[in-house]
Amino acid sequence: MNVIALILLGSVVVVPAVALWSLHWASRTGEFRLLNRAALLPFDDEEPVGQATDQILNRGGDRR
Amino acid sequence: MNYGPLLFLGILFTLASSWVGLVLMPNRQLGALTANTSTNDTGVVVVYPQPRHGEAQQGAEHYRSLGCVYCHSQQVRPEGFGSDIERGWGRRRTVSRDYLYDKPVMLGTSRTGPDLTNIGERQSSHDWHYSHLYNPQITSKGSVMPPYPFLFEKRRVPASGPSSDALKLSGEFAVEDGWEVVPRPQARQLVEYLRSLKTTVDLPEAPLPKAAAVEE
Amino acid sequence: MSSTNTLKALMPGDVQSDPARRAMLAEIDASCRVPVLFFVVSGLMWLLLGTLLALVASIKLHNPEFLAAWEWLTFGRVRPAHLNTVIYGFASQTGIGVTLWLMCRLCRVPFPAPGLTTVAALFWNLGLTIGVVGILVGDSTAIEWLELPRYSTPILFFSYALVAVWSVITFRLRRERHLYVSQWYLLAALLWFPWLYATAQIMLLIEPVRGVVQASVNWWFAHNVLGLWFTPIGLGAIYYFIPKVVGRPIHSYYLSVLGFWSLALFYNWNGLHHLIGGPMPAWMITVSVVASVMMLIPVITVAINHHFTMVGHFGKLRHSPTLRFIVFGAMAYTLTSLQGVANSLRSYSEIVHFTHHTVAHAHLGVYGFFTMVMFGSLYYIVPRITQREWPSLALISVHFWGCALGLILYVVPLSYGGILQGLGMNDASIPFLKVVEGTLPWLRIRTGAGLLLALGHVAFVVNLGWLLCRVFGPYRKPVVELFTETGTAAVTAK
Ligand code: HEC
Repeated sequence: MNVIALILLGSVVVVPAVALWSLHWASRTGEFRLLNRAALLPFDDEEPVGQATDQILNRGGDRR
Repeated sequence: MNYGPLLFLGILFTLASSWVGLVLMPNRQLGALTANTSTNDTGVVVVYPQPRHGEAQQGAEHYRSLGCVYCHSQQVRPEGFGSDIERGWGRRRTVSRDYLYDKPVMLGTSRTGPDLTNIGERQSSHDWHYSHLYNPQITSKGSVMPPYPFLFEKRRVPASGPSSDALKLSGEFAVEDGWEVVPRPQARQLVEYLRSLKTTVDLPEAPLPKAAAVEE
Repeated sequence: MSSTNTLKALMPGDVQSDPARRAMLAEIDASCRVPVLFFVVSGLMWLLLGTLLALVASIKLHNPEFLAAWEWLTFGRVRPAHLNTVIYGFASQTGIGVTLWLMCRLCRVPFPAPGLTTVAALFWNLGLTIGVVGILVGDSTAIEWLELPRYSTPILFFSYALVAVWSVITFRLRRERHLYVSQWYLLAALLWFPWLYATAQIMLLIEPVRGVVQASVNWWFAHNVLGLWFTPIGLGAIYYFIPKVVGRPIHSYYLSVLGFWSLALFYNWNGLHHLIGGPMPAWMITVSVVASVMMLIPVITVAINHHFTMVGHFGKLRHSPTLRFIVFGAMAYTLTSLQGVANSLRSYSEIVHFTHHTVAHAHLGVYGFFTMVMFGSLYYIVPRITQREWPSLALISVHFWGCALGLILYVVPLSYGGILQGLGMNDASIPFLKVVEGTLPWLRIRTGAGLLLALGHVAFVVNLGWLLCRVFGPYRKPVVELFTETGTAAVTAK
């Protein structure tokens, strides 16, 4: 068996192991707990959720 | 996902995987390829492929510089996949070894024009190539290949009489009496390159079809 | 307002914890003005040049006598010059400009180290000018997507390295600890690209590898420029602007996590599907075909996420130029990705590989998706960083409709014509010149489409130039404050 085959076989074991470990780490440290809240990051007090921006076209005569 | 280092690791790790898979592995597997030595029917030892030299190699540089690759591929797909072989673009498919010495390898991704892998076998006439390059409409009416007039020189016929390599132009392409069109060195080199393009040697991984191989 | 309170309750802890330490949006925007505009304006200059080169190349393809006497304008030089100006001149620079602004906003820091990016932009344009002139005088490498000659690329790489350094600095300085999905995409793009570029430069130009390994490196690189450079920047922008404009968080944050990691895993394995049927060992191509099909996962998750966020808000398309361009781009992304999966299947590739179909597909991706998203982003960013409104709304409409219709007119007929061309080529009983003749109508339509696109570009550049003239004039308070709905309401109430 040559080196490449060894590396390939090795990575078949190592890669999923690393992936599983990091998933476990992430859920343990609460990465997933507040997942949907990160979706609010683009908003803040200045431009809160519910306020549309960039509404400049087709506003009737009220712009000029 | 707030942990920066983990994100960085993921980003690097994913690209590293295909870098190993599609860059390093092919280099390991194909980088070690060597030319094939075989004995043909007449007992002559044939080493294939051979690096290009001289005019043909200079022609390859013009082929690169003029961007012929944007309309012409140089690869023959296997029997039963497309109709490359039926169209007479080659007698066998091309394989990695055929391109061993090409720098750059110009496989091409477009066939606005025909495949040129075997143009040297298909069309070996200098005259045809010169006329075609000077203006493709001369040989192939309706072609969309650009004319390359700048590879030729229009000059007065010398006192010693018309040059031997002057283009035979007639009809709408004819030049005034007393003038002639001759290929510049670039055109000569380019045509030498085109004439050198052929994959007519048997390879263990891509044998020529039997009937054709005997005829060789 | 009650909505603000609900929002506070929902926010992750420290987003709200220390508002005083966080920069205000207007402060961040103003700090981005010069560095972002530098990239954007030079990008748009390259766009105009690239459009011109594209038109010349397009006309030459159905009228080969057009400008045929000049060596430097021959098709085989104009075409790569077009590709490199729009890819490295326009798309990359505009993409970097948009990335800089998004990074500052999402990291909540005023633009750090503007000198760094200014030097980067200067060198980028210098390197590219040298390179494009190099292509036209005959030094093209003839390696697709990497035609810029060897003597120009180190300058580009150096300039790019500065941008990457800047992004790491900004990331370290961030005042918002939480990362939004756009930031993952942008960071990934900024780190992936130098790796791709360095690998390709070293293995193809500096110390070329042997034989067809060049082809595999070439397509690993070229496909990843799309997949790991333009796509993440475009998707990052969409993930920010759709929620921002409609005022509603992304449909499912969970899906965006899945979408990001599946894209990161699969996209970079796709490249070798450009070599189907080619002289490569079968395993390489098979791996790429499999990965290309796996792309269905990120594509569908991203599509669900983008399109479902829009549900119930389509009315806003009428009013927001940003949203129009971005939603058009998001739809083109879905379409081009699905088309890409189809193109990578052997049976379909047997027909469309080597035809104009691929060219149409590339434009649906780089133009329909990426360029349209960048235009949309600029409509949002430029007024905020300059504190000036777009001078002409009519020009915005010309821009949008010119580009949208132009692109549809480009992609649909040429895709169809490409399939006919492929079918014709695969039937050995049809003479080759007959196949060539069959492509002519589609190529002529393409030139028409190109004119529409050019019209859109000119409208945009005129509008932007007009706006920039006002930046140097006296400050005028915008009529529509902050360009928001409440702002407009206030105006109407007056
Ligand atoms: C715009 C696309 C285009 C470009 C660029 C182009 N060609 Fe062509 N070429 C064609 C087309 C179409 C044909 C088929 C019709 C014909 O014979 O002219 C063709 C045919 C050929 C043929 C004849 C092939 C055959 O099977 O008979 C040769 C040889 C050739 N081209 C060489 C070149 C060289 C050398 C260059 C670069 C200097 C070049 N071509 C650039 C489109 C192109």
